[in-house]
Amino acid sequence: MPTPHEFAIAGVYMPPMLVAGLFGVIATALSVRLISHYRWSKYFAFPPAVFLALMVIYTVFFGTFIIGA
Amino acid sequence: MAISRKAKEAIKTALAMTLGYGISLWLGWDKPMWVGFTVAFVSLATVGQSLNKAALRMMGTLVAVVVAFVIIGLFAQDRWLFILFFSLWIALCTYMMEGAKNQYFWHVAGFACGIICMDGGANSENAFGIAMLRAQQTGLGILVYGLVSALLWPNDSGKAFAASVSGLVSTQQQLYQACLDLMLRGGDSKNAKALQIQLIQQKTRFGQLLDAAEADTLKVWELRRQWRALQSQVGAMAASTARWLDEIGGGTPLDYGHLLPGLKPFGNEIDLRLSMVAGMLKGQMPKQQATAIKLSLDKDKVRALTSFQKAELAVRRSQLQQVDDLSRTLFATVRDLQGFGRTSARPPAPAASKPSFIPDLDRLASAVRVMATLWLAFLAIVYVQGWPGGLGFLSMTTPIGMALAGTPQVSVRILLAPVAVGISIAAVAYIFIMPQLSSFAGLGLLIFAITFFVCYRYSEPKQGLGRAFGLAMFVAIASISNEQSYSFLVVANTALMFPLVFLILAITAHIPFSPRPERIFLRLMGRFFRSCDYLLSSRNKESTRWMAAFHARELASLPQKMAGLIPQINPKVLPGTSPAQLQAIVASLQSLADRMQGLAEASRYTQSMRLPKELRPGVSDWQIAVQKTLSNLSGDPTSGNKDAFQSRLSGIMAVLERSIQLELDKGGAGRISAQDGENFYRLLGAWRGVSEALITCAGSTTPVDWAPWREEHFT
Repeated sequence: MPTPHEFAIAGVYMPPMLVAGLFGVIATALSVRLISHYRWSKYFAFPPAVFLALMVIYTVFFGTFIIGA
Repeated sequence: MAISRKAKEAIKTALAMTLGYGISLWLGWDKPMWVGFTVAFVSLATVGQSLNKAALRMMGTLVAVVVAFVIIGLFAQDRWLFILFFSLWIALCTYMMEGAKNQYFWHVAGFACGIICMDGGANSENAFGIAMLRAQQTGLGILVYGLVSALLWPNDSGKAFAASVSGLVSTQQQLYQACLDLMLRGGDSKNAKALQIQLIQQKTRFGQLLDAAEADTLKVWELRRQWRALQSQVGAMAASTARWLDEIGGGTPLDYGHLLPGLKPFGNEIDLRLSMVAGMLKGQMPKQQATAIKLSLDKDKVRALTSFQKAELAVRRSQLQQVDDLSRTLFATVRDLQGFGRTSARPPAPAASKPSFIPDLDRLASAVRVMATLWLAFLAIVYVQGWPGGLGFLSMTTPIGMALAGTPQVSVRILLAPVAVGISIAAVAYIFIMPQLSSFAGLGLLIFAITFFVCYRYSEPKQGLGRAFGLAMFVAIASISNEQSYSFLVVANTALMFPLVFLILAITAHIPFSPRPERIFLRLMGRFFRSCDYLLSSRNKESTRWMAAFHARELASLPQKMAGLIPQINPKVLPGTSPAQLQAIVASLQSLADRMQGLAEASRYTQSMRLPKELRPGVSDWQIAVQKTLSNLSGDPTSGNKDAFQSRLSGIMAVLERSIQLELDKGGAGRISAQDGENFYRLLGAWRGVSEALITCAGSTTPVDWAPWREEHFT
């Protein structure tokens, strides 16, 4: 697993969780677009909860396995 | 070189902002940014509109100060009670701000209380200082902007107001003519409908300009009561003409010219009366006085009509008499206003007593939503360590949450661009330019330049969001004060707070109902039919007056709310639905609401009248058929079956027609007085109107494919 480390952009340090969260939101937005395109969203009882759950799952995934938050 | 109006307004706001900051800094007051916020938010197109908004802001701030003291005084030791009562106050303000009057006052009374409570915190001395500072900075901002807008290129509302009144009366006259033509000759109602839309827009503009003119035009202020009376009379006349137009559009017209022999002179008289009203508004003396006109019937020709035609004739005649009545009152009010003689019109009829408080379900939902937003934000601040902004996060969430609570269907995504632009401008000024400045000359120039740029770039009313966020971000991030400090964290924390505010708003938009516009549309449609059903089933019951008033208000307001949702419904996600179909549904609901009101009015006339017993089963069958359909539609608004309902009603109408004929043949006419007879026909006409409107409603829902509306999808 990657070692936790900070992100620096132009000398400004950012917490890794913020970066993981940003990637999590982007990945969720793309997934949701795909699901909506194929009209799979009709199989969910409450899509907003699915959106939130996907966001958490992606953030944890990126934070744990890619960024190392 | 001529300066455009857009540039002038931008210069005025920029100058007021610079002067406000300059005076506040010179006086050594803390938090001069509050002057900046005041100037940024009260600036509007005319002096009157700006002063009105400024007065609402000041009053709202003063109320907020008192409420904040009470909350801090009573609950400073217990954070849960503190946030409970604070959120209840914000919920009340949100409920009130969605009403028809003083919206800005309630908005300020809510969020200013939040700022004082959160900045002042548990320390009462600090809270007192903050509250006083807030009040004096707001007062300073209003004073500076008021003076600048009154002295520099003053733009009072007087001329625009006079033009708006004349335009309104002229459109009313044209609409009246179009309705009369339509009634006499039939044909296409497109022109009349276009005039009706124009009249609604002019009526709204008139209301706004009257508010403004009261503040900046002495002549209007002195006669404000008469102007308000004129406003309500114009509203009543517009509503009456709208009902008239709605009922005459479509179908074969009766030969009104022969049935009502005096119709032509009647039409000319009303037309002349409205022309004289327009003339008086331009300062011309009226040629004659307005006198009541009796519209007589040709009894021989009327006798040859069927009962339903007689009913229709009775309704039309009553509508025309109402137009006569309203136009006479309008004439008298304008004559009084323009000083062409004191009015001798009858004293206004006492208004029917209405229940004092009728709750609005949508406003209650907004109040619940804003409470949920505040609680979620507060829990995040309490339980998530290092939450950006601390309690300041709550002060930022409150105004945005209140502003968006009434429109959950509007995605917070629309705020992303204005916020990003605002933060970028402010960040560049704060990080790169402000540290280089050493005196107010440079700082003033910067404040002026940025304010001018934002106001000029976002000058259109529809760009209000960009302008508000652009200025607010600059004022908040720059945090100009006498002891200026610079920290990148200010920009970073502010920038970070917004995604979190938006996340919370996106979550609470689902409370208490789905924010999807199509779901809201369906929900409102169900409510509409439930209200119709209730009003029909509870007619003439005194014990249900309060509920009846509630449902009547629902009927009057729901079609408008649904019309507002149509542009937000995405036809791409709902294959088989087009905006034109939805507009047809809303138009049919509006028509049904008008007919229901007509029925309520007709019922008032016939409360004491007893129907001949032979007619009762027919009327009762009719009532049951309509109520059953309404009951089905309230359960499932999409279940309308036009053909089945139409054939059933046609059958009942044929039976009723025969019963009435038999009754008259038996000499029933002699047993019913002439007045009762007319009232009976009026009631019959109203029932017929309701059933026809219901058939149209059922028909308008058929072409829409409702299956995708019920499917779940991401917003």
